[in-house]
Amino acid sequence: MDRYELRRQDYSLTDDHADLQSAYRQFLSTHCPIDTVRAAEAVGFDNGLWERLCAMGATTMALPEAAGGDGATLIDLTLVAEELGRALAPVPWIDHVCATRLLARLGPLDADGKAMVTGARLAALDTGPGRAGPRLIGSGAITDHVITRDGDEVVSLRFTTPPTRVDNIGRLPMAWVDPDCADSRTVLGSGADALAGYETALDEWRVLCAAALVGLVEAALTIAVEFAKSRYTLGVPISTLQAISHPLANIAITVQSGRNLARRAAWFLNNEPAERPELPSAAFVFMAEEAPRAATMTTHVQGGLGVSAEAAASAYLVRARGWALAGGDPAHAAVRIAHLVAQREGNA
Amino acid sequence: MDFSEVVLAEDDRQFQREVRAVLADLVTDEVIRRDRETGENFDEGVHLALGAAGYLARDWKPVAEGGFTALQRRIWELEIGRAHTPWFHWPTTAMVAHSVARFGSAELKDEVLPTTLRGEYRLCLGYTEPEGGSDVATCKTRAVRDGEGWIINGAKMFTSNAQNAHYVFLITNTDPDAAKHKSLTMFLVPLDAPGVEVQSIRTVDGDRTNITYYSDVRVADRYRVGEVNGGWAVLRDALNAEHGTVDRDGEGLQKLATMTEHILLMAEAVDHVAAKVAERDAGGTRRVDDASVSYRLGRGVARMEAALSSPGMYGRVAIAQTMRDVAPDLMDILGTAACLPVGTDGAADDGGAEYIFRLAAPTGVYGGTLEVFRNMIAQQALGLGKPSYASPERTTARR
Repeated sequence: MDRYELRRQDYSLTDDHADLQSAYRQFLSTHCPIDTVRAAEAVGFDNGLWERLCAMGATTMALPEAAGGDGATLIDLTLVAEELGRALAPVPWIDHVCATRLLARLGPLDADGKAMVTGARLAALDTGPGRAGPRLIGSGAITDHVITRDGDEVVSLRFTTPPTRVDNIGRLPMAWVDPDCADSRTVLGSGADALAGYETALDEWRVLCAAALVGLVEAALTIAVEFAKSRYTLGVPISTLQAISHPLANIAITVQSGRNLARRAAWFLNNEPAERPELPSAAFVFMAEEAPRAATMTTHVQGGLGVSAEAAASAYLVRARGWALAGGDPAHAAVRIAHLVAQREGNA
Repeated sequence: MDFSEVVLAEDDRQFQREVRAVLADLVTDEVIRRDRETGENFDEGVHLALGAAGYLARDWKPVAEGGFTALQRRIWELEIGRAHTPWFHWPTTAMVAHSVARFGSAELKDEVLPTTLRGEYRLCLGYTEPEGGSDVATCKTRAVRDGEGWIINGAKMFTSNAQNAHYVFLITNTDPDAAKHKSLTMFLVPLDAPGVEVQSIRTVDGDRTNITYYSDVRVADRYRVGEVNGGWAVLRDALNAEHGTVDRDGEGLQKLATMTEHILLMAEAVDHVAAKVAERDAGGTRRVDDASVSYRLGRGVARMEAALSSPGMYGRVAIAQTMRDVAPDLMDILGTAACLPVGTDGAADDGGAEYIFRLAAPTGVYGGTLEVFRNMIAQQALGLGKPSYASPERTTARR
């Protein structure tokens, strides 16, 4: 591609963006303190928080107006995802909105679909590599519908009783889902268009997951910074030791880089999807690798207090690992990037 | 938020065509070859031609005085990069000229500025010292009053382009007993003054820089820039510009960080590697279909795009660090032929990745090492406080 093309590089947020961001930040700091996060760990889901979030319009905003939604942009959604990550919110918002947006792309919404727009019913997206047999679904234990691929079909699996949750490092409502055990199976679409729509849903999931990890890492960084400023060794705050401050500075760089990349990826996916198709995967690959590394360091900086199970730091650590991994091996996304770029440059 | 292509009005489109044509004409294969050989990042013919055409002056001046608009400057920077123009020293010259305009005497401005903007004078930096490292405030080069003038003695490292320059922006110590930041005075020293010696140093990326020696160099007081013992204020102002920590516009037309030029060179190298692995060999195999190749390439692209998105002082670190992290993988992907430099028979991607690997080392050093910027992020963005250093005095006292 022309690396010297004349495009704007305007990462600034509008006043509306800033309002949206601060509304969700305030909402979550009120309704989702760390105690709420801890209390939901056994289930991986806080239904009360979910209902409040839906009442705020968090799910309807994500759908186009034609589908009964409020038509937010993907940029708007990255802002919400970042706040949910910052708060470690135990709600499957990313999976749900990506799945529901996919349903709306594939055809008119039925009654269940309309209930998904408001968040009254939950949908899950299978973000795995699309192989046959039972697979782990991040929000599989609490959803009525699981949207997945099967050959060249996109299908909705209905479970009257959702599969049982399994304990997992991301503290997600994760479950083994076996398509053969579904109570019903509805084909939502088939062929190239349906599969392309599914790939778009995965790209959206990757961007929003990256954004959530950015918020998560920034919150973990803030906790570590406050700790380092108040902890003394040999008469000086440990924050003034470069063995502490430089790794924390590197995490600040990760936050700035990952945040801007996720937003740029969202902008292209929203406005010129064919132009930079590798960016959603790039944002995901970068944050999936950096988030656990950063969370490990923010935990480490707090020493024995950081690794205790009660420490907020450890809550961030396990989710930094588990949330990205719910999407499968990030290497698959890296390989996808290489093929997209090789195709572009090979044809150039 | 906006990443759209800029829609150009006819006069801006005309400007873009004109600049592209001028540079295509000036930056010949011969210029590129000579630049590679000498490592000077400078070509006098190109520089003078651009000066004569008025581009240097327009790049330097504010819009109100006939300078480039923000859009024209962006077009200009991108076209300079596209043509691989030997260029890195013009921003240095321009920065010093800004300091002279701001802090210099009327006499000095008259002597230096018009000629510099025509391209005939070049200005270089004399900050770092052989023993000083990245802390430019630890300055041993001395300037001592001598009647109406000054006598300068000392040495400076990395006075890049001194061999093509006419003045050096020299930070000196004028009060060794004063506190570090109250002891400095800035001068613009003519490089043809008796007692100045320029010694060449080549760096691992093939660039040429210099060490310069100053032995009883006499300069008139009009070459002083700023107050006596007030050099820190002059330096601070110039460093802010160099570090890219100045305010940005809201239209997305400015460079996101300093040294984006370097990561764009890596982006070109990455694209070449991608094209290379997409080729079919005699047996019809594409290397990108080998997952060990595609995984590393994809991961490298991801990390590069993150660095390309990173603003200001964050970007300054991310760019150099990412070049260092990714270039080795790019070379591995290409195999042994990635050992071969540009122009060598059978060089994998004509030495693209090999060059980026070597360029990555100085990119993390010059203009302030990565540690300087990590300190800045730690202090200014995170509020972690000034670094604690175990000074020899304190260690002794504690014993």
